[in-house]
Amino acid sequence: MSLARRKLLQLVGLLGVPTVFLLIFFFGPLLIMLVYSFLTPGLYGGVDWIFSHLNYGRILGWADTRYEKFDPVYIAIFLRSLKLAALTVLASLAVCYPAAFWISRMRPGMRDFAIFLVTLPFFVSLIVRLFAWVLILRPTGFLNQGLMGLGLTGGPIEFLYTDFAVILGMTYVFIPFMFLPLYGSIEKLDMAQIEASSDLGATRFQTFRKVILPATLPGIVGGSIITFIPALGNFIVPSVLGGAKVLMIGNLIEQQFLSARNWPFGSALAMLVMSAVLVLLIAQFRLAKKEAQS
Amino acid sequence: MTPFDTYPAGLLPAGSQDRTPMPSPLEIIDARKSFRTPEGGTMTALDGISLKLASAEFVTLLGPSGCGKTTLLRTISGFETLDAGEVLIDGSAVTQMPAHRRPVNTVFQRYALFGHMSVARNVGYALEIAGRDKREIRTRVGEMLELVGLAGMEKRSIQQLSGGQQQRVALARALAAKPKLLLLDEPLSALDKNLRQKMQQELKALQRELGIGFIFVTHDQEEALTMSDRIAVLAHGQIQQIGAPTELYQTPANLFTADFLGESNLLPVTVTSGRGCLPDGQSFATPHAPGEATLLLRPEALSVTPPDGHALSFTGTIRETYYTGTDHQIALETPAHGTMHALLRSGGALPCLGSEITLYAPAQGLHLIDEAAP
Repeated sequence: MSLARRKLLQLVGLLGVPTVFLLIFFFGPLLIMLVYSFLTPGLYGGVDWIFSHLNYGRILGWADTRYEKFDPVYIAIFLRSLKLAALTVLASLAVCYPAAFWISRMRPGMRDFAIFLVTLPFFVSLIVRLFAWVLILRPTGFLNQGLMGLGLTGGPIEFLYTDFAVILGMTYVFIPFMFLPLYGSIEKLDMAQIEASSDLGATRFQTFRKVILPATLPGIVGGSIITFIPALGNFIVPSVLGGAKVLMIGNLIEQQFLSARNWPFGSALAMLVMSAVLVLLIAQFRLAKKEAQS
Repeated sequence: MTPFDTYPAGLLPAGSQDRTPMPSPLEIIDARKSFRTPEGGTMTALDGISLKLASAEFVTLLGPSGCGKTTLLRTISGFETLDAGEVLIDGSAVTQMPAHRRPVNTVFQRYALFGHMSVARNVGYALEIAGRDKREIRTRVGEMLELVGLAGMEKRSIQQLSGGQQQRVALARALAAKPKLLLLDEPLSALDKNLRQKMQQELKALQRELGIGFIFVTHDQEEALTMSDRIAVLAHGQIQQIGAPTELYQTPANLFTADFLGESNLLPVTVTSGRGCLPDGQSFATPHAPGEATLLLRPEALSVTPPDGHALSFTGTIRETYYTGTDHQIALETPAHGTMHALLRSGGALPCLGSEITLYAPAQGLHLIDEAAP
């Protein structure tokens, strides 16, 4: 057996099974969703194998004028989801950037412990943690009791079932996602470069803007993307902390599959979310490539 | 009396004596600084250091690691604050001034170049920060790159440069804003030997050309001897001795300087009424005050042929020889003085290992150190 042939066989042996697994179980469901999104909903759930573009029409602006008129509510929910996800990213950044800076300057033992603390919430069920937030945020919750006890407000403030609660909850959930890539790039930051900048006349703010921020940009972009994607499609946080008032695209998709039993429409909504994410990833990829060239 | 008062007039740069007195580029008065160690103790990094530059000199801070030389440099650049003492740059006190406002720039040990910027933006950084005009920055960056021999490299990225080129960019960047004083923190330690020697010569030439003070930190004594107008030898947070390289090498004030600068044979001497006496009974005339002292004999002062006139002689067995091309380094084991080191010119008869040999040193002009030998 020739060496090249042997190498090829080794490669196939090593990668063959995982490749087939991914093709079937990762791309398979996506393909099913894509096909379903162009079909007609069955009368009792499921699908009828009749081509239809109206699932997308219902979202994007052309409707089946026989049964319903075009309603921009789906676009509105999608845009709101984009906004909430973006605000979640910003809030996580605001929390994680200083924290990552601080932790990266700790002595090694403390540092490992602090990173462990950041990942600690993963050890408790997400639902349990979100219900803990309900206890904090509800009108008779700890936050309102504290505020009223201090005399800062007369009556309870509506925290629960608002955009605020959803953003707060998602920020809480996604902080480890933001923290780890940020920490990776901040830890690599060369302290000597910060000193050099100061030595060359830059104030702290100038140093931050011209040296620290550009040097940690890969971490910021990476953390933002892996926070934004799950935040955009999230349905657990808005359903627990947003109730019926703050509906995100994730909840809508869930409803279409489980309550409305309109699988093709749910698939079309899911495809919409996925294409938004794809556009974002491609834009980031292009940007990174341009950055690498210049 | 400050070290400056003993500064030999002949070593001042030409013409500087008849100029009207200018403020010293750098003056440090009784600088003190201690750090808290992680174990809870305190470590004195600077223990009363005073230093004054007479003019645009090339001064090297030389000492082993932990001697306080880097701390001293960082108090000049403003990255460390003093517990007590003053720092004056160009005659004005900057002791409380933050680093970014001080008119000094630093070449860092590992260059600390901004990896996400081009060569041109690195070099022009100080001017960009100062809000200078884009055209002016471009011109100045061009000049600076030409000065360090990197003309036309503006658009390169830092990662594309070799270690030596990065070194030059760091130098250009530090000089672009025309600092009053350039601080160099072991900048050559990461370069290979040939490149290092080349850079030493270039740095010295550059300092003469620019006419500004250079404060150069190193632990490499050879580097210090090659480049400096004056060397300050530091140990335990104090200046052991400051002076011209020849002065330090030939007439070190104490054992530490003698030992740290170059190879040395240190022999105990008892001085009584104008004569120094070695343990083996040999004696020589000396103006040194009576008491215990140490005789410094540099390896190259020893030779196989006896000099004219009175000479000291040392007989012993050759234990080690190293051939360096120009010289033979010899370790001689003597009964009276232990192991002695000698440097013999090659070309003569090759001393062979284990053979007995007598080496001579002229008995005039010997330098005695006040301290008793270790």
